Amino acid sequence: MNESYEGQGLEGEGQAIISLDGVSFGYDPEHPILQNITLSISQGQWVSLVGPNGCGKSTLVKLLNALLPKSAGEIVVSGMQLSEETIGSIRQCIGMVFQNPDNQFIGATVEEDILFGLEGLCLSYAEMAERLQAYTTRLGINHLLSKHPGELSGGQKQRVAIASILAMEPGIVIFDEASSMLDEGSRNDLLGILQDMRAEGKYTILMITHDADEILASDRVLALHGGGLAADVTPAELFRDEELLQKCHLCEPYPWRLTRELQNQGIHVDVPASEKELIDTLWP
Amino acid sequence: MAIELQQVSYSYADRSLWKLTALRDINLSVPTGSMVGIAGATGSGKSTLLQLFNGILKPTEGTVKVLDVTIQAGEKSPKLMPLRRRVGLVFQFPEQQMFEDTVEKDLIFGPLNFGMSLEEAKARARQAMLDMGLDLALLERNPFKLSGGQMRKAAIASVLAMDPEVIVLDEPTATLDPISRAELIHLLERLCREQGRTIIVVTHRMDELLPYADNWLVLKEGSTAFQGSVKALADDPSILEQCGLTVPQSLRYWRAVADRFGLTDEAPRLTAESLAELIASLPSGSGNSSEQHEGKRDGHE
Repeated sequence: MNESYEGQGLEGEGQAIISLDGVSFGYDPEHPILQNITLSISQGQWVSLVGPNGCGKSTLVKLLNALLPKSAGEIVVSGMQLSEETIGSIRQCIGMVFQNPDNQFIGATVEEDILFGLEGLCLSYAEMAERLQAYTTRLGINHLLSKHPGELSGGQKQRVAIASILAMEPGIVIFDEASSMLDEGSRNDLLGILQDMRAEGKYTILMITHDADEILASDRVLALHGGGLAADVTPAELFRDEELLQKCHLCEPYPWRLTRELQNQGIHVDVPASEKELIDTLWP
Repeated sequence: MAIELQQVSYSYADRSLWKLTALRDINLSVPTGSMVGIAGATGSGKSTLLQLFNGILKPTEGTVKVLDVTIQAGEKSPKLMPLRRRVGLVFQFPEQQMFEDTVEKDLIFGPLNFGMSLEEAKARARQAMLDMGLDLALLERNPFKLSGGQMRKAAIASVLAMDPEVIVLDEPTATLDPISRAELIHLLERLCREQGRTIIVVTHRMDELLPYADNWLVLKEGSTAFQGSVKALADDPSILEQCGLTVPQSLRYWRAVADRFGLTDEAPRLTAESLAELIASLPSGSGNSSEQHEGKRDGHE
């Protein structure tokens, strides 16, 4: 829980690794999709990016590595101002994992797929072999190296996609609804991977998500609405704010909802961490 | 019964070296007008099962009875065209089955194909839009310019336009945001309760369907691991874990309260609202300002 975070600047203590100043984007200048976005994310932070379908979340992350061109404003990533000269270096700092792992599979086997990204970085064979070993072990997929993507389950494919991104050792990893197609077990796995990544401290995580558990695990929530930044809050603040939840098309985790309903019944308890904790609180 | 399966097995590539048995000895009864949830880990046979419901797949063993049509393994199957109008299948990404340049054309395609007149088809399309809670103005729009949630509802409306008695949906809420998911489940419940249609939903988000489904079928490696009422499932949710599924939080909290007070005959409270009401009616431990004790003091310590 992030209670201790409250009242502190949500930008965190670390150095800013991503900053946007007055950034706008639109295919048609009359109807901008994003307008005048200013925000800063510090190194090591895990940020959830939320908002209703079609509010510009994916557009925003695509501006960061110039998959889409901003129409106004300044973007600085890892100390580099985004421009034609820096696009290449900035893209090396940012790894992206998408909703559907099938869309980012390139190789005929898991091994080839992961090596493809590394070849692009012009690493030595020894270095490539070492990273392949290290990251597939970490994600628990080294027994799948010779498999064809078609032989993998959805959760396994998403692990391969993550391993191939992490093996390139980007400082910033963006997840675009990476869990929405996974079953619950695989979603929990992904959450574990993210928690490990945060514990390591070398990744800044930007995650587009609707999933209450993922949001709850993160440090900070940026809510987009109507082309602008509607809120910059902690997960706890988000889940206490019914109006904001509605605006972002989100639901709170079950224990939070239950706590609110209990409150409506005149029973005041803290949000329980488990069902056992609730029982022990209500009936000690 | 809307659907009845007797000792049904299904194998892919049955008479070959690559034979793969996806379903084993399934017995299933789905009462007309009920809402049924189907759960199971990836690869447990859920999607194979769905395709037996309107004759896309035929059983390799056993008998499948859907409405008044019987499909028996090894026998020539009866005409399936009428059955396919009466049993609507909505696949995992229904928006991928849209193809016309207006929503209306997409919606009348099915009914026309099954022999309805244009007038009738258009009337069915309008009714289906209303049933799905969609604005009739969208009929003139290009389906690919709708939002994700609207597109999915329109795709379901295109199945509904054929006026099916049974609607089978494969993961209808995947990739929708939580509010749209809740809306969709609510719409399906209305189709079931108000119009008497039989609704079968395959889902890996059991929590959102739990308060509404009458019965559940849980598959494990192609066999039935559980079949019964939501009450029976709530009495012993551990079966879900044995099938590689997680017990939804709403079920865990209900179980904890029910165990604490020995509530064995009570209908499970699977929404936060109904559980909170129940907790408020139970005797409080210490310091709670609950005044609504209803004298349930017997039956527990």
